[in-house]
Amino acid sequence: MMAFYFSRLVEIFPFFLTGLWMTTKVAFISLITCTLIGFILGMIRASNNVLLKRLVGIYVAFARGTPFVVQIFIVFFIFPEWGLQLEAFPAALLAMAIMGSAFVCEIVASGINSIPKGQWESAASSGLSKMQQLRLVILPQSMKVIVPPLVGQYVLLIKDTSVVSVIGVMELTRVGWVTVVRIPEGLMVFALVGVLYFSISYPLILLSNYLERRMAI
Amino acid sequence: MIEFKGVNKWFDKLHVLNQINLMIPKGEVLVICGPSGSGKSTLIRCINKLEPIQKGEIIVNEMSVHKPTTNLTKLRAEIGFIFQQFHLYPHMTALQNIMLAPVNVKKITKVEAEKIARQKLERVGLSEKADSYPAQLSGGQQQRVAIARGLAMSPEIMLFDEPTSALDPEMIGEVLDVMVSLALEGITMCVVTHEMGFAKKVADRVLFMDEGKIIETGKPTDFFDNPKTERAADFISKILTH
Amino acid sequence: MLDNFNFRIIFEYLPLFLNGLKFTFLISLVALFLALITGIIACACRISSIKVLKYPVIAYIEIIRSTPLLVQIYFLYFGLPTLGIRVPEIQTGIIALMLNSGAYIAEIIRAGINSVDQGQIEAGLSSGLNYVQRMRFIILPQALGVTVPPLLGQAIVLVKDTSLLSLISVVELTRSGQTMTSERFMPSEAFLTVAFFYMCIYFCLKALADWSQRKLIFREAY
Repeated sequence: MMAFYFSRLVEIFPFFLTGLWMTTKVAFISLITCTLIGFILGMIRASNNVLLKRLVGIYVAFARGTPFVVQIFIVFFIFPEWGLQLEAFPAALLAMAIMGSAFVCEIVASGINSIPKGQWESAASSGLSKMQQLRLVILPQSMKVIVPPLVGQYVLLIKDTSVVSVIGVMELTRVGWVTVVRIPEGLMVFALVGVLYFSISYPLILLSNYLERRMAI
Repeated sequence: MIEFKGVNKWFDKLHVLNQINLMIPKGEVLVICGPSGSGKSTLIRCINKLEPIQKGEIIVNEMSVHKPTTNLTKLRAEIGFIFQQFHLYPHMTALQNIMLAPVNVKKITKVEAEKIARQKLERVGLSEKADSYPAQLSGGQQQRVAIARGLAMSPEIMLFDEPTSALDPEMIGEVLDVMVSLALEGITMCVVTHEMGFAKKVADRVLFMDEGKIIETGKPTDFFDNPKTERAADFISKILTH
Repeated sequence: MLDNFNFRIIFEYLPLFLNGLKFTFLISLVALFLALITGIIACACRISSIKVLKYPVIAYIEIIRSTPLLVQIYFLYFGLPTLGIRVPEIQTGIIALMLNSGAYIAEIIRAGINSVDQGQIEAGLSSGLNYVQRMRFIILPQALGVTVPPLLGQAIVLVKDTSLLSLISVVELTRSGQTMTSERFMPSEAFLTVAFFYMCIYFCLKALADWSQRKLIFREAY
């Protein structure tokens, strides 16, 4: 029986590859949007503007304090009531952006805050504007603190894309879920799904370990 | 008491100890100096096997330090080691720091260990700091507690790895005073330091190292006033101008 | 935006939410406790020099870290029955959470042990303390201080992760939101309430984590 299911699984393997492609697509787009939005929010969070800082703080607390699956439900089921009707795929991307950018924001903000005040002061003394101080002096130094946890966060984001399966995006986890109904070999099906996830996230884990060791020096 | 026989050590390709032969008799106070990276810290760290060696032999009290069968616990219990950065245990009070090894290695009772610990604290002039945590003590006080911690095992040998280099200038004196009184008591001491005053006052011998080799040894007055080699003369002139 | 927000219906469904909250609490507590034990054992194996303990545990940790929790949950949910093991969904869920968090906790503890300054170990060595004594008196007490804040961080992650159990129909907080949505189509009321409760748990744990961060860390004073 096992062997039979195994050959069925081999037959429909291309289906898994389309799932892997969808996962890669969601992950890739999300990583870019999360990084962009996260850096902007992070710079605001580390700034001196009390009001904006607070607003970003509330947003971050919401995004970090509630489970991602609840956030997906909010985007997919509640946003339409507020006039934003989205298909599953863009809804998934939006939810990923909301959640992921909050985590990136915190990493960026703590990276900026890790730079001693003297660096701001000496940059200001040489006549640089606030933006220049940040761009030319502070950010280049804080990248050392930001990059290793950022890559670690990317691994988490890639794995979180599995949750968008709940609104029917045909990515890897959804493919496994659909398959297991027809081929009732749960261990085999989800081991395969796991292996495919492993193939994208493990290289990133190794990269993050490497960066952590290198930056620690 | 301590004997180096043809000791060689490499860090990867760097030859940090190059054919060291050295005899330190019982009761001697030996000061080791030399430019940074000359291997002087490594030399004394080998004596209690904080560092492995690749060639040669070190013998302490008839025990071959780097032989796998040597009872390291026993060996280390007979050697006190003082670090540049003190390395007091931050989660323990001064008293607990001192009592830890006697209770757990020598297996003496807590009451007895506390008695010894208080004696040693008094010895370094810090009786009133028994219940302070390291973070509440100044650098000089921390180093004196570290010395008391070493003394509590009643070692026959004390090794000091740049004990005053991490200290603010005004605290160096209090640590050196304790070390001088130890030297006068007749404990065998190896001290890596650039403190010339200390060397002149109590050292029996000064040893100058550079690039992993022993370049020169001699009586402190001879060494500092009439160095035999150019490298030593150069080094002494540099530490004098500072 | 929320002009049609119906508070009355939330009160009507309050018992459902509170029941869900109760189970979220219970599942989190049990899973966290089991994950701690798993993590401690896994970490002990991970840092040991015995190869038959070390390498399987490395494989376990790496597999958990590089696959999504949801896939791990489905793996057990659909996989255990094919092995002839039939356990209630809630137990399947707790096992999945235990294995998942256990791997992360093992790494947190290991990082704590590694964070203890090498000089501390040398000081212990110099006074003749053996491995067990150094672990017990010097390394673990200091590692504990550094591990508590990230452990509480992991607890926050774990509480949020319990929400995924709703997808294998375990009754908990998120599930009660789904139940309410399917009975009355009022997703705003349902999921914003659910989000509110999660936020409450989050703020408590976050405050605790921040407090422990300030309180518990011993630093070597130079």
